[in-house]
Amino acid sequence: MKPSRLCAVVLPLLAVTTGSAWAQAPGQHNAITDVPGISVGHFTGGDAGTTVVLAVGPTGQGVAGGVTQRGGSPGTRETDLMRPDNLVEIMNAIVLSGGSAYGLAAASGVMRCLEDRGVGFPVGGGNVVPIVPTAVSFDRATCGGPAASRPDFAAGLQACLAATGGAVEQGNVGAGSGGVSGGVKGGVGTASVVLPNGIIVGALVSVNSEGAAYDGDGDLYAAPLELGNEFRALTKAGGHRHRIPPNLAGGPLRSGTNAVVATNVQLTKSQATKIAEMADDGVSRAISPAHTAGDGDTLFVLGTARLAMATLGDESAVVTQIGTAAANAVSRAIVHALLSAKSTSCQPSYCEAFPSACRNRR
Amino acid sequence: MQLHTALGGMLTLMAVASAALAQTLPQTPGPKNAITDVPGIEVGHYTASSGSGGMTGTTAVIARGGATAGVTQRGGAPGTRETDLLRSEKAIGTAHAVVLSGGSAYGLAAADGVMTCLESQGVGMPVANGAIVPIVPSAILFDPGRCAPFNFRPDASFGTNACRAATNGPVQMGNVGAGAGARSGGVKGGVGTASAVLSNGVVVGAIVAVNSAGRTFDAVTGQFFAGYTLGNSDAAVATALAAPEAQRDELLRATTIAVVATNVRLTKAQANKLAQMADDGLARAIRPAHGIGDGDTVFALATGTMTETPNITQIGAAAADALSRAIIRAIVAADGIHVSACNVDSYCDLFPQRCRH
Repeated sequence: MKPSRLCAVVLPLLAVTTGSAWAQAPGQHNAITDVPGISVGHFTGGDAGTTVVLAVGPTGQGVAGGVTQRGGSPGTRETDLMRPDNLVEIMNAIVLSGGSAYGLAAASGVMRCLEDRGVGFPVGGGNVVPIVPTAVSFDRATCGGPAASRPDFAAGLQACLAATGGAVEQGNVGAGSGGVSGGVKGGVGTASVVLPNGIIVGALVSVNSEGAAYDGDGDLYAAPLELGNEFRALTKAGGHRHRIPPNLAGGPLRSGTNAVVATNVQLTKSQATKIAEMADDGVSRAISPAHTAGDGDTLFVLGTARLAMATLGDESAVVTQIGTAAANAVSRAIVHALLSAKSTSCQPSYCEAFPSACRNRR
Repeated sequence: MQLHTALGGMLTLMAVASAALAQTLPQTPGPKNAITDVPGIEVGHYTASSGSGGMTGTTAVIARGGATAGVTQRGGAPGTRETDLLRSEKAIGTAHAVVLSGGSAYGLAAADGVMTCLESQGVGMPVANGAIVPIVPSAILFDPGRCAPFNFRPDASFGTNACRAATNGPVQMGNVGAGAGARSGGVKGGVGTASAVLSNGVVVGAIVAVNSAGRTFDAVTGQFFAGYTLGNSDAAVATALAAPEAQRDELLRATTIAVVATNVRLTKAQANKLAQMADDGLARAIRPAHGIGDGDTVFALATGTMTETPNITQIGAAAADALSRAIIRAIVAADGIHVSACNVDSYCDLFPQRCRH
């Protein structure tokens, strides 16, 4: 085959690929709450907090979920039951919390909140057991002192009671309150995307990473994944930086970027697990190094079942499409987290550390 | 010809070697016949009664000095905490306690109380700024709503109380701690423990809360499926009584959760292997086991006071038998409950000849 003919074959393929990418746009709030059935609540208590993602299926029950857990220092609850070979197929909420392993207590508060509403896995007699998988991270933005508070039962209860649809507050809130990322302030970020075939994918992350989300010049790795003008005129950092403290010592239990991905498609547990694995690539692309021995990185996926898989075409192709979109949404949510985070007394925000990159942001 | 001879010799050597490996060492129960015979292991129960026949509770197995830990999770309906960090490739290799609780997933709150109890005692993994984080994996079983309101369940205070009650002394069995509200194949379940001291000085112990859909004994004769692990102390006594079938809710929502421990120093991967082999003791003692409605989870702890190179197969085999024995001892120790409308027979109610001593 002559080169010219090869080009003729390849170019239309490229056009199709990039064309479909351009057809993507963020949802109304550019948040995980753009996925029908998803609501988010934060509880922020000083330098630690809790974020809950509630999920409701079309008939009021929970939704199928999956998880991948690749960081080396996890703190988790109820991840065993999410394995596809295990019984329970409905998840009612995902809790992300600060407070290291102590913060797992927040899930009990979320369980109480949901039980009071009659939401959970039915176990007979009208009783329910809410299914609330959870991951925690270690708050490091405490400026050398111990954390003023750690998320407990009440933190989970408050986050659950505060959960709403609509816009999601980002930055130094909820599970991201105590987050640090590569020497700058971490936090909560969210993003969403609507695909031409009606699939909606949203992500919410709590960034608290041993690795950095920016390269040697200070440019955020995932900035090129911007949809529209969502990063609001973020520009090149040009290597100009101000007072970035050395990254805090790593080691077991020291950090953890935890995430929730949601889609409006009806998923099986196996499909949700596969999408979780693909979505986790979004963490890999936005933070380097990721999934270290000291990171707790855990990523959950929820499918709220507003679109039947059968109406969308080949299942494997749809799973790949969702997984691809999810990875990008996770990366974008990490950028939003860094751009939304505010400086603390000991931790500069990304925009304070790299003012050139943010000079045009409104 | 020569090749054949050489091969034959090699095969014989391999056969001898594998026989030696597989051979279980002579063993006797430890002085307490309990998991607390393992140096460095303490156990505390907290038990609550509803007054209407309902019981629930929490059992804390504490390794104050830290223990290398592993887990296997084979039941289909688990409720767990901190099992991810026990996987061999994860960074944290030490656990300070394992918490077993009733209360279904709500009972996972008990681990919070054990964490704060251990923190107040300075037991935990050092992190930043002088702070510590106790590593406390946990598993729960389903007992809510049995002869009690559905919200009669363990909370964080149960963990605190179980942790404060922990000692290295004899361990109470039967209707206590995590096994207080347990049932097993139509009879009362409970907590059991057992230990073995091997002739080379290895100590292995097991503690279990038996709450199984499957049964532990032949319904007609009462003979325990894993009775052979008890040696000669359990002479067969046939009876014509038939045991009741498990209730439907027990079939759907059960769970047997256990901890095995040894004084041998193990790597995390070896601790995970130990948990897997110990789980065979559960399979031999309960039929069926690991069903879709069971949350069966087995943890392993290695306190490491004995530093000789471990023979993991011997330790695993002893742990499996110790777990089988602990399960039988749980069923024998359990008391029937007969409070107004709440009636659950114990094994010994059904087969008194087997329980005379």
